[in-house]
Amino acid sequence: MKVNIFYNPFTIAAGLLCIVASGCTVKAVGDPNRPITIEHHITIDVRGLKDTATNIEDFVSGDKSKEDLINKKGEGK
Amino acid sequence: MKHISFRIFFMMILVLSATTLWAESYHIKQMTPEVEAALESRRERYDQLSRLKASGAVGENNRGYVVAFSDAAAGVVSLENQDRRIIYSTIAQQNNLGGALETIEKVFAQVQRDKAQPGEKVQMDNGNWTP
Repeated sequence: MKVNIFYNPFTIAAGLLCIVASGCTVKAVGDPNRPITIEHHITIDVRGLKDTATNIEDFVSGDKSKEDLINKKGEGK
Repeated sequence: MKHISFRIFFMMILVLSATTLWAESYHIKQMTPEVEAALESRRERYDQLSRLKASGAVGENNRGYVVAFSDAAAGVVSLENQDRRIIYSTIAQQNNLGGALETIEKVFAQVQRDKAQPGEKVQMDNGNWTP
């Protein structure tokens, strides 16, 4: 049986996934559990960023210490 | 040929899954005097800002900044937003997220909405204010 790869659903799906994986432009803040790509070379993990924002706001409200804000590996300060 | 397509498809699924599961962490990597001062100022201002929020004189917008709804709150709001801008920019700079300041601001706005007390004014993503 001859299979035309251009009309193969797997090829189409793989192609679409390649486009997504290689980078695209997303303007809105998306699902906090999924990374989003802002530019082709900048990918943000929104969940990680939200953790950082929560730590900072917890510090501001007095719920956390300053040590919680800086790099856990001890860089900085 | 179908096998090759399936392999490509499977590999892409693996790549995307790994990307999704990998939790990147962002930090204030270097506590510069500027960002430290901004954080301390915000901490000192916190109680005053909380009172203004409770009274309805100040609200949290959907861009990660506070908005004054009365002239009396304008000064505090201006200082608070100045400090927030320093913090957001520092996170962007120190984590190589230079082109993503808007996203950082929106994530902070989301956190402010999550932490808001009942009755405090917050702006939703669609631009509507609640309550």
